[in-house]
Amino acid sequence: MKRTMLTGAAALAAAALTLTACSGGDDTAGGGEGDAGNAENVDTITLAGWSLATTPEFQVLADAYNEQNPDVTVELQEYDATEYDTQMIADLAAGSAPDMYVLKNLKNFVTYQDGGQLLDLSDIEVGDEVNGVDAYTVDGATYAIPYRQDAWYLYYNTDLFDQAGIDYPDGSWTWDDYAATAEELTEALGGDALGTYQHSWQSTLQGFANAQDPAADVLSGEWEYLVPWYERIVELQDAGAQMNFGAVTTNSVTYQSQFGTQQAAMMPMGSWYVATLLAQQESGDAEQFNWGFAPAPQLDSSTTDNPVTFADPTGIGINPAVDADVAAAAKDFLAFVASEDAASALAEIGITPAITNDAVTETYFSIEGVPTDELSQFAFSTHEVRPENPVSADTATLQNILSDAHSAILSGTVSPADGIAEAMDRAQSEVLG
Amino acid sequence: MATTAVDAPAAPAPPPRRNRSRLTLRNTFIGWTFILPNFIGFAVLTLVPVVTLFYLAFTSWNAFGQANWIGLENFARLLTDGTFHTALINTGYYAVLHIPLTLAVSLGLALLLNHKMRGIAFFRTVAFFPYITSIVAIAVVWNMLFSPDSGPINQFLMALGIDNPPGWTTSATWSMPAVVLTSVWREMGYYMLLFLAGLQAIPRELYEAARVDGAHAIQRFWNVTVPSLRPTTFFVTVILTIQSFKVLDLILVMTDGGPGTSTLVLAQYIYRKGFEENDFGYASAVAVVLFFICLGLTVVQFLLNKRKEV
Repeated sequence: MKRTMLTGAAALAAAALTLTACSGGDDTAGGGEGDAGNAENVDTITLAGWSLATTPEFQVLADAYNEQNPDVTVELQEYDATEYDTQMIADLAAGSAPDMYVLKNLKNFVTYQDGGQLLDLSDIEVGDEVNGVDAYTVDGATYAIPYRQDAWYLYYNTDLFDQAGIDYPDGSWTWDDYAATAEELTEALGGDALGTYQHSWQSTLQGFANAQDPAADVLSGEWEYLVPWYERIVELQDAGAQMNFGAVTTNSVTYQSQFGTQQAAMMPMGSWYVATLLAQQESGDAEQFNWGFAPAPQLDSSTTDNPVTFADPTGIGINPAVDADVAAAAKDFLAFVASEDAASALAEIGITPAITNDAVTETYFSIEGVPTDELSQFAFSTHEVRPENPVSADTATLQNILSDAHSAILSGTVSPADGIAEAMDRAQSEVLG
Repeated sequence: MATTAVDAPAAPAPPPRRNRSRLTLRNTFIGWTFILPNFIGFAVLTLVPVVTLFYLAFTSWNAFGQANWIGLENFARLLTDGTFHTALINTGYYAVLHIPLTLAVSLGLALLLNHKMRGIAFFRTVAFFPYITSIVAIAVVWNMLFSPDSGPINQFLMALGIDNPPGWTTSATWSMPAVVLTSVWREMGYYMLLFLAGLQAIPRELYEAARVDGAHAIQRFWNVTVPSLRPTTFFVTVILTIQSFKVLDLILVMTDGGPGTSTLVLAQYIYRKGFEENDFGYASAVAVVLFFICLGLTVVQFLLNKRKEV
């Protein structure tokens, strides 16, 4: 009896192993390459998205496409926003993923690409105006089409600047200027608000450092260049011009509340916050005040004409398990995604599209409430966006090590120099060594 | 079947045997139908993943395609992985603080709430309440209580005249004790309930006899309550040990392993390696180590318990 049970269990387990081992990889042949499918045979293609009720961009793309192609419907399949990649990886491995899926961040792109889960899209015509294509290009082949390209700006509250009697940012700031102004603001505002607010994410500091610092190279594991960046923010914390990291994490402070309820006069944040702030001011979740956004401060004055900032592009790729007809239809949709029409549709709802030409800029700034001053327009239309992370199998591990260093340094457990040195040791022994 | 039963008396010896074997078969079949739904659930949701995990621990696998067999490489990597060592030490540290503290607090509570008095149901409910509250809510509220500058705990300590109260979750030294305190507070109600059940099973005559012999309260506690509670204490300790080594959710929400790696535990390390870094083979190897730690400790506890019983 016992023996039969054991044999049964072993057989079951062996079956499961064979199933899990065989589900990926080999079935890449089904899709597009070679035999050109006929898109006309398809009337519905599916696309993954997250939090559909509060993230309208997927529906906007689907509707805009449907308007031009009434015969094809793009059906959305909803995923959880925070567990998006985990759920998508599971669905792809199980063969139940939608025809097309969004690459929510660049960090996991390598997992999908290296794992053979993205169709080669090199034959889709993408204009030079589309930003972020390079990030999805591996060995000359493109694996996803970007529709959205955020950028990080410096948001500022003009009312608080006026109250303090300090000049607004003028687009020529370095990080030292920014830090000095933050301290001046804090003093002048006398407790009404702090000079600046940098959220607890490692991006708010490392993202800029990695994009702007010529010495920056995340994959090398040589991270000494981060030390002065950390020293600057630790000084800001010590001077009381920036909320303490411990206070942010223990009180679950949100960046929307800090800037939206005028607790801080400045805030470096991504371009998505424009739409959020407008919506919150309208709903009453944020107070009514005047604000604008400026290019992010730079490492030195050499880049102020074309400010360097960072953010990952958001692209859409095709699941290689689809048949040739569906692949052809999906490619047609992705060609639309890369077009100016799609960009304008996205700009209308406050999303920063991958194309920011004059027409798109005009659409964006015609939204009611968007600050229309020259500097905000300059910040939107003129910048060089670098990806937050390099595409490599080691990125996620190195980022986790850097994240530990980030919390250790900012909570004051170690000095910036010691914290970074420790992180470099870990990178050497656990990843690179 | 009915005809067989009717025909049976005609042939004297064999039929009863055939009947019996048929009965056995039927009973076995019925038995299996009772077990099967549960067993299938167990097999699909627990047994297969666990066996798969053991296989994956010897491979390099990123969720797609073939898992490559690499033998003991993952385990060799564990020997030199500094962060794994930190996580292992942190997990041990958590368990060493958490197990005795929870035992003491929940037993104390149970003794306190084992009396007949007014509103006893209310107090028991209050003590049990944290256990059924959402972990995220608990983590957020306790984080605020522990806040170094504005949190009520440090304000209270400062009012008592302590000039430099701990930084709690923002300090590498105090983050683990802070997490343990929160966790003890959350779980004490559940273990209190187990101890209460144990206490109520102790025959009253034992206490009466002890009283007649002139034993005072402390002697009655050590010589009657403690020995009578031994099966409950054993059960609670085993469960507590396994729970402590598996701790994840509370730490994930309260400190996310930080500051630095001061509260990084094995379960979170497994999550990081698997779901954040897509290194499922290595994550499985860590999970196997965690499995054997839990198994080893449980076996040791059973052996110790057996020796005491003898």
